[in-house]
Amino acid sequence: MGFAVTVGGRRVECAPDQSLLDACLRAGLWMPNSCNQGTCGTCKLQVVGGEVDHRDSPFDTLTTEERAAGMALACQARPVSDVEVGGSGDRTTHPLRDLTATVLEVADIARDTRRVLLGLAEPLAFSAGQYVEFVVPGSGARRQYSLANTADEDKVLELHVRRVPGGVATDGWLFDGLAVGDEVVATGPLGDFHLLPESDDDGGPMVLIGGGTGLAPLVGIARTALARHPAREVLLYHGVRGTADLYDGDRFAELAEEHPNFRFVPVLSDEPAAEHRSGFPTDAFVEDVPSARGWSGWLCGPPAMVEAGVKAFKRRRMAPRHIHREKFTSTARSSRPPTRWADPDL
Amino acid sequence: MTTTEKPDLSWLDDVTMTELERHPYRTYERLRAEAPLAYVPVLGSYVASTAEVCREVATSPDFEGVITPAGGRTFGHPAIIGVNGDVHADLRSMVEPALQPVEVDRWIDDLVRPIARRYLEQFENDGRAELVAQYCEPVSVRSLGDLLGLQSVDSDKLREWFAKLNRSFTNAAMTEDGEFANPEGFREGDEAKAEIRAIVDPLIDKWIEEPDDSAISHWLHDGMPPGQTRDREYIYPTIYVYLLGAMQEPGHGMASTLVGLFSRPEQLEQVVDDPVLIPRAISEGMRWTSPIWSATARISTKDVTIAGVDVPAGTPVMLSYGSANHDTGVYEAPSTYDLHRPPLPHLAFGAGSHACAGIYFANHVMRIAMEELFEAIPNLERDTGEGVEFWGWGFRGPTSLHVTWEV
Repeated sequence: MGFAVTVGGRRVECAPDQSLLDACLRAGLWMPNSCNQGTCGTCKLQVVGGEVDHRDSPFDTLTTEERAAGMALACQARPVSDVEVGGSGDRTTHPLRDLTATVLEVADIARDTRRVLLGLAEPLAFSAGQYVEFVVPGSGARRQYSLANTADEDKVLELHVRRVPGGVATDGWLFDGLAVGDEVVATGPLGDFHLLPESDDDGGPMVLIGGGTGLAPLVGIARTALARHPAREVLLYHGVRGTADLYDGDRFAELAEEHPNFRFVPVLSDEPAAEHRSGFPTDAFVEDVPSARGWSGWLCGPPAMVEAGVKAFKRRRMAPRHIHREKFTSTARSSRPPTRWADPDL
Repeated sequence: MTTTEKPDLSWLDDVTMTELERHPYRTYERLRAEAPLAYVPVLGSYVASTAEVCREVATSPDFEGVITPAGGRTFGHPAIIGVNGDVHADLRSMVEPALQPVEVDRWIDDLVRPIARRYLEQFENDGRAELVAQYCEPVSVRSLGDLLGLQSVDSDKLREWFAKLNRSFTNAAMTEDGEFANPEGFREGDEAKAEIRAIVDPLIDKWIEEPDDSAISHWLHDGMPPGQTRDREYIYPTIYVYLLGAMQEPGHGMASTLVGLFSRPEQLEQVVDDPVLIPRAISEGMRWTSPIWSATARISTKDVTIAGVDVPAGTPVMLSYGSANHDTGVYEAPSTYDLHRPPLPHLAFGAGSHACAGIYFANHVMRIAMEELFEAIPNLERDTGEGVEFWGWGFRGPTSLHVTWEV
């Protein structure tokens, strides 16, 4: 039998071996969360009453002192009694749920990069930029992939997958046996990398920087932002090694035609080409934008790129609370998956 | 034949006020190690220097509040920090309603944020600033000044007043005969008080006739029978307490926190990126360089033994909270600023019945000011071409803090 979890007067049921976060999100009760593997600390909360088992919570994220003070990581902790946790409980979210999907299309779109389209039996409610966690058939391993969709593209999910040599999910599945018509199992939506609700979105200028397939959630976010405010300034940088890694150029050219203040800027780090910028996308931003005061910034890519992006944004005086990033870092000690966009399945 | 070993504290005879104001930690580190309760000749007083002894004296039923001699000379009687019993209860009941958390929460954001923004707008595009004079002190005095009802007194004047009252209050050197060693040192405090009276008296005249929602107006009227107000002579010493400590210390706390963060660039970056960490950064800043370093005291009400020292009734003891917060028995490497040290309680706001009444207000003034600073200038750097000097024994903080940023 499970236990009850109470948050700000709301009560949800938590099954045996279900994390606090999973129980709340499935009930449509929002709580802060990002990586869902215990490394980012976003979901840290205060256990006000009752007991939890911290399970795999890393001590780097949840210190001994914090445990003693009754803190817990919602994505790791399992209740061992009825518990009450801190938080207002007044924010709803798209409920987390189990998904069954059918592979509709698998396309090689760039070097070691595939676009996978998945048809859903039931439409999925999510916000552009969120991700979905898949179970790799046969291995039981779980892998997380960002959705490139806008929220109204809720029946066919678009993933961008980069191959990792020898990777369980890529070489072992998505780049190997995966075929149109296959059924896949996943849970979602997850993550806090998404725009503010439309009513709070003032249409301010945005810069988005994606590294490799870190572009995926930015594709959904940028299109959503432009649909809300067609004339808003949106700068989308795609950092890759060479032209062979670029994809969706036509798609962005089309978007730029519809939206005069949208600009797509590929930046090549290792294999320069005459028609494209060279170097790192974060440096290109610093060159292009003298002041980012009043802008919001969006970063998804390898950790080093994300960190460089935060620095670049602050250097151009973007307010830190308007800097959004996937706080998803690989963790050697965890049995859970490392990152979904950098080296997803070593 | 000696039966008890008393430490040789003759080195204390050579301690001067100048030394204490510049480098108090040297003297107090030795005091904590050798004599956590000791008579310090230059101060003409016993001094408690460890966390344990400060807390014991501050909360002991055998001690009550007393103002230091130089403090009493500066503020007069009855200042809220130096009285007890019914008068203390009345003065606390006078100041506390406006400082309750639920009350402060109601208006603190609307009060402080526009003030912080206003000062930031004056320099945020300059690429350089001296934050103590251009930001920390102005935000602190303007926020409290507006709360008190002193909107008509400009910020520079409020800063001048706290600085003069500070130097007078901490003009603590005593002669062997128990006289003030530097009586001239009180003159600028007296001048400041004369000026304060000239400006605040007419405001009080007005508030007596036309009460408003300012704090001083409430002090005059709250809890009084209809038609009566508290006597202004009764509340002036407490007005001076506010015009010194409450005006000055949030500025000190902010500036010290910033200097501490500049000493740990990776921690500064964490705080800039995640403003939720600001209260913790401030708490560590208050521990690291406690603004009210050694400005409060207690007096024994009967013969007691403290830290092995027999203390007769009627003995004043100065509470060195700035020293207590560097007690190696409590804090590891206490002279290092560390955002991530275990969040143990500190004594920066004192303890016992005379603990600071403005803790909540001050913490939120500092928090909002730092939120706005990092929001406007997330790329703040210390100007390494300029030094940072801390000054003060009674009250302590950086005298200046030069910063630069890319614009």
